[in-house]
Order: sequence, then structure tokens, then C-alpha cells
Amino acid sequence: MKKWLVLLFILMFTFLVACTTGNDESSEGDSGSEDSNTEESSTDQEEAESDEESSSESSGKVLRLNNGSEPTSFDPPQGFNAVSWNALNNLMEGLTRLDESHQPAAGIAEDWNISDDGLEYTFTLREDANWSNGDPVTAEDFVFAWTRLLDPDEASPAAFLGYFIEGAEAFNNGEGSAEDLGLVAEDEKTLKVTLNAPTGFFLDLVSNPAFFPVNKAVAEENPDWHAEADSFVSNGPFTLSEWEHESHFTFKKNPEYWDAENVDLEEVHWAMVNEENTEYQMYESGELDTAAIPSDLAEQLLDNEDAFFVDQAGTYFYRFNVEMEPFQNEKIRKAFAKVINQEDIVQYITKNKEVPAKGFVSPGFTDANGNDFREESGDLLTHDPEEARQLLKEGMEEEGYDELPEVVLSYNTDDAHRAIAEYMAEVYSEELDVDVTLENTEWNVFLEDQKSLSLQFSRSSFLADYADPVNFLESFVTDSSMNRTGWSNEKYDELIANAKNEADEEKRYEYLYEAEQVLFDELPLFPIHFYNQVGLQKPEVSGVVRHPVGYLELKWASKE
Amino acid sequence: MIRYILKRFFMMILTIWIIATLTFVLMNAIPGSPFNEERTSNEAVQENLERHFNLDEPPIVQYFIYLKSIATLDFGPSIKKPNDTVNDLLARGFPISAELGIIAILVALVSGIILGVLAALRHNGIIDYLAMMIAVLGISIPNFVLATLLIQQLAVNAGFFPVATWQSPMHMILPTLALATGPMAIIARLTRSSMLEVLTQDYIKMARAKGLAPYKVVIKHALKNALMPVVTIMGTLLAGILTGTFVIEKIFAIPGMGKYFVESINQRDYPVIMGTTVFYSAFLVFALFLVDIAYGLLDPRIKLHKEEGN
Repeated sequence: MKKWLVLLFILMFTFLVACTTGNDESSEGDSGSEDSNTEESSTDQEEAESDEESSSESSGKVLRLNNGSEPTSFDPPQGFNAVSWNALNNLMEGLTRLDESHQPAAGIAEDWNISDDGLEYTFTLREDANWSNGDPVTAEDFVFAWTRLLDPDEASPAAFLGYFIEGAEAFNNGEGSAEDLGLVAEDEKTLKVTLNAPTGFFLDLVSNPAFFPVNKAVAEENPDWHAEADSFVSNGPFTLSEWEHESHFTFKKNPEYWDAENVDLEEVHWAMVNEENTEYQMYESGELDTAAIPSDLAEQLLDNEDAFFVDQAGTYFYRFNVEMEPFQNEKIRKAFAKVINQEDIVQYITKNKEVPAKGFVSPGFTDANGNDFREESGDLLTHDPEEARQLLKEGMEEEGYDELPEVVLSYNTDDAHRAIAEYMAEVYSEELDVDVTLENTEWNVFLEDQKSLSLQFSRSSFLADYADPVNFLESFVTDSSMNRTGWSNEKYDELIANAKNEADEEKRYEYLYEAEQVLFDELPLFPIHFYNQVGLQKPEVSGVVRHPVGYLELKWASKE
Repeated sequence: MIRYILKRFFMMILTIWIIATLTFVLMNAIPGSPFNEERTSNEAVQENLERHFNLDEPPIVQYFIYLKSIATLDFGPSIKKPNDTVNDLLARGFPISAELGIIAILVALVSGIILGVLAALRHNGIIDYLAMMIAVLGISIPNFVLATLLIQQLAVNAGFFPVATWQSPMHMILPTLALATGPMAIIARLTRSSMLEVLTQDYIKMARAKGLAPYKVVIKHALKNALMPVVTIMGTLLAGILTGTFVIEKIFAIPGMGKYFVESINQRDYPVIMGTTVFYSAFLVFALFLVDIAYGLLDPRIKLHKEEGN
């Protein structure tokens, strides 16, 4: 009998542990909010509770999205990735905001003045631009936020985006000081910014979350203001009403937003589901309004009427290492590129309706004369197996090879990358009679090898940080951290430098066109396809804007 | 008994130390770094970060910093989650993982034992075959397959349950089922075979001959002894449930600890790798210790220590 009791006791004990851990969880949440906001925590909680009630009543205008995982940070300069900035883009607003056609439009700044030399921008902020706690959004808030972006002690991964501002790079490298930054709050609603060089896309750049303002008074009182929903102050279309870490967060329409009358959604619910099949199943059962398409189901879902395809400014490409044999030879590089049929890859392998890439800069950028950069620059790479064989032969003669040195094609471990790599290997074997070895490593290892130039021929991708062709092309200047090919060309470096210092837009684009031509004349890389954004969206949802460069836009979203 | 516990406790500390050391060595053996991003931030910033997280120190110094953090139970800040310390992550994730794990183990124990006993009592009958069919299916279907199947059938098609996330008791049913089925099947098979063995023992015949009510014979006399093997494998099952939660948590988007364990390795978030590994191993070692103690208490024939008499 006694032993029976012992067993029972153990069962009871495990039960108790279960109960107490359950309690721990809830009490922990309470104490967390008390730490950050002692006096207001109780009222905030009551508010949160009433919020939940009202959310169940207003069923119409609630959008349900999946953020994939916990945002790294809602502190603008810290969360430099899509999981943070897709959401943050709708909580906050910078001086400008990208409109439905992806052009910068007046945001918190209602007007601006650009000096004739293109170096000085004077922004006038809206009188009715307020924070969600009622404070006015001031020029000082922008100076405070941008100084933090560039502060070396903050170590923001997005700091380089601010290098266009005078004194920024020196300050961020620890050589300059905050006082030397070209930022002046002339009065409460006037901000003057001085740049290093005329930067034609500066208005576009400041729509980026890295340049969002931060409420100085709030941030100085509580440096962790951005970590919890209770203390978060926003100035955009929505406020952060609930944030249960690693589980979900909720937005409510921000009544203090200057353009609140044009915001239709009442609430946005964000789940954090990091498993594409589960996400799709939640979409099917109506728990989510949008979802990605699981790769297994791509073929049957791509023709679904819910599917959407939107351009994304970015390129899927392969890097040649010009410091390793046999790719020091231009003709051999060209042979390896020209033999690949990009249309086949897009049509039969990726099957995502991407645009095959005949250049490095993706379509969608308009030059000074109103032409699309990609169309104007033309097809710089053409599929021609016959020519490829000829080039390979010539290249081998130039180098004195009887047999081509071993070629290893590397990619980071992923089914989609493997499919393309296997296709390429087959083409090389069939068309060029070259057997390449495939090799794959985990992402972090792969990146390190690629950066240290120890890969010979490797998969790469580029996603634009800001909406200008120079962002694509500056990657390949000598010793750029994005170069990773060992390629160096003085003329190219000069063209990019000229483009960055040119105030005349027409001339600037001439430099860029020439630079892309130089790049493809020597071909240290070869592009496969441009990226696009593919997914499913319920037919009752409308007005969600997905920018080619930039983050998810819900300001004009609506749901019937 | 006390000496035995002290000895075991010392062994536990040693085990955890060995695990921590091995983890540290392996962790430093994989190439890559937490700051290795597609876009490289400038070197000054990178150096600032490395200094901030003591990554500029030689490995042996870092090792002692880690040992100290384990000893003081303060694992420090997470590199990849600037708002959180490792302790925050553990405090947030562990209660949820524990809730899921404990409910699953209780479900597995209760249903497994009932199934096993019924099967043994109706040996070679229809119930026996049915129960063992369920058990064989439960052992052979991996939990992630079962999870997807349950979601598709019961949540998407039938609409009885929500698909995923962790909010209400309704959200807990499918992940618990997916996680508990495997261990339940093992427990059921084990209970059945040991029950069959016990039921042929002389003392059971004796009890029956005395005219005891059948349920009393089963529960008081047979089951008590038949459960010994179940207690023995509880430790292994716990480990199974623990690793099972990694997968189940991901499929059901449950905000437990499993994802930190996996994510931190991909991201080279060294403090989180150390924190979760040490925490999990300490938990498991302690659970095994409890099982051993329970085993000794339940079966007087097993002596934990010479001096212990019963």
C-alpha cells in the first residue's frame, strides 16, 4: 500500500509542477509590465482587457497576418530585417511615406525644400503630426533618432543607410562626433539636413524605417520604451495595443495619426507561425488572411485566384571568384554564364513566375528621361550554347589548359537552391562537357567562406536597401564588403564614384548605364532571375501595398 | 539514502559540467559568427559588438566566463535578441514547453496504462488486437506526420479545433495528442506484456482463489508490480517528449523553448546555445534522478544503498 502511495505522490507532484509553472507564467507577465511602467500598469491592463472585448465585437475590419517570428526589435535602428520592419512600417512614419506607386510622398513632413546644389534638405513637419501619447512630432525627435542610428555605441546594423548625411560615416566609425552631423532642428517643426553629395533618392531613403523618428522625451525617460506594448509610442497609422512575446501582437488604428481618416482597418492581428505548411493550413481554415505558398503545393496553388505576384527589387545570381582558377579567365566565365538558359530555370525549376535576369539591376527604376533602367540598359547577357563552347575553347587555349581545373559550385543548404544548382551542373556536363562538383554548406558557414573568397563559384542574392540602381551596382566596386568576387576595375570604381557625386540626374544615369556595361563586359558574376513576392491573399482583402523596395504597407488596406 | 542522494547529486553536477564543456568546444568548432550577415556592417561596429559580448577574448577566457554564468545561473544577454537576456527567454519559453510536455506525459501515462491493462485482461481478444493496433500505429507514425494529419483532418477539414498557436485549452488538444501518441503506444505495449507476465504469477492465482473481487486483484496486486518497467522507461520517455516538443512547437507555432534551442545554433547566438543546452541537460539529468529515486522507493528489492533497509 505504501509504495502505491509513493507512485500517487509522484503523479501529484508532477501535476503540481504543471499548475505552478502555469501560474508562474501569468504572474511573470504582470511583473514585467510593472517594471517598465509602475503606476500605469493597472490601467493599461484594464485597457488591454477592454480592447480584447471590443475586438471580438468588431469582426469586420480586422486583418489577420503572419509575421513568421518574433520581431527582433521595434526600436527603429535595431530591427534591421523584414520580421521587424514589415510591422514597424505601419506603426511609425518617417518624413516621407511611399505611396501606392512606390514613390516617396509627404509623410510627417508636409513639404520640403532642396537647395540648388542638391546638398541641403529643409523639411517642414506637419502641424498636426502627433505621437500616440499626444505629444507633437518635432524636428528634435528626428535629430535624436538619426543620431542614435549613427551612434557607434548603439551599433545599429542599419547605420550605413545614414552615411549620405554629412559627418555620418566618421561619427559611426568612432572618428567624428555627433555635433558634426549635418542635422539641425531649426525650430520645432523645421528640420535641416546636409548631405555629403547630391543624393537623388534621398526622399525615398528617408521613408525607410531606419529613419523613423523616436519620441525623445519618452525614450530618455525609459530606454526600453520599444520593448513592450504598454510603453510603445507610435506616430503612424497604427498603435501597438498588445505584444505577447514570441506568440502574437496586435495593432489598433491610431486616432492621433494625421491621416487617420484614410485608415480603414480597425485592427491588425499578427501571428508568429514559422512553418509554411501550418501557415497555409491557417489560411485555409480562415485564421489568416494572407499566407506564403508552401513549395510542395506551388504548382497547384500558383494558378489559384487568391495568388498574387509582385515585383521585388533584387537579383538571384552566381559569383565567380576571379582569383581562383579557371575563373580568372574572362572567356571561361562567359562560357559558364552563356550556356545557362535562364528561361528554363524560371519556367521549370523555380516555377514562381520570376523575370529572367539579363542584367544586374532589376526592372522598376526610372531614369532621368522617364525610361525604365532595365529596358534602356538592355540584355547584357544572352543564352548562346554555341558561343559558350567557342568561348570555353578559346579561354582554355589562352590559359594553356588541356583540361579544365576542377570546378566546385557552392550553395547554401536549401532545396530550392539545390534544384537550380543541379540543373546548372547538368547543363555544364551536357553542353560544355565539364563535370562540376556540387557542394553545399549551412548559411552562416557559407557566408563566411564566400566573404573570405574561399569559394570558387557560388550562389548569391541581392535585395535592394534603397530604391536606386546605384545600390545594386555599388556592390562590385573594389573591396566592397558585397563584392566577394576579387574583381576590381578602376574604370568601374570611377563610374560609381562619379554617379554618387553627380547632381545632374541625366549624367548620373549615363554613369550608371556605363558601369553596368563594364560589369557585364568582364562578368565577375552572372544573374539568374530577379526576385518577386508571391503569396496568397483572401479576396475580401484589398489595398495591401507591397513595394519592390521597402516594407509591407497597410495604411490603405481594407477588408470587407 | 542521504549518502546516495549526495553522491547522485555530485554526479549530476559532473554530468552538467561535461555537457557544458562539450557544448562549448563544439560551438566554437563550427565556423561562422553571430554577426555574419549578408550585409556586413562596418568593422568598428562589429568590434564594438564583439567586445560587448566578450567575443574578443581568447576561447579559454570565454570558457570561464561561461562557466561562471552557469554557476551563477545568469546566462547573460542574447546576442540576436537585443531586448532579452537568456534568462528572459528561458523564463518565457520553459513554462509553456513544460505545460505541453507534462500534459502530454500525463495523457500518455493514463491512456497507455488503461490500454495496456485492457489488452492484457482480454488477451487475444478483440480489445487486445484493437489496442495493440493503435499502439503499433502510434509507434510507427512519427509525431510530425501525425501533427500535420491531425491539423488537416480535425482543424482544416472538420473545423473542430484551431489550426495552431497557443491561446486557449482548445489550442492545446491537437499538439498534446500529437506529442502523447508515441509514448502512449510504448507504455501500452510495455504494460500489456508485463501485465500478462504478472497475471500468471502464483500470488495472483492465490488472490483470486481467496475470492477477491477481480478489479481489486488487477489494481492492487497485479498492476502495482506490472508498472515497474513503465517507471524504468519514464526517463527515456521524458527525453523523447523533450525532443518531441521541438518539432511539435514549430508545427503548432507554440512559443516554447524548442525554437531557441534550434534557432540559436543557426544564428550562432552563443549565450543562448549555452543557456538552453545547460538548462535542458540539467532538467533531464534531474528528471532521471527523480525516476531512479522513485524506482528504489517502489521496489524494495532494488537497494539504492547498502545501508538502506526496508
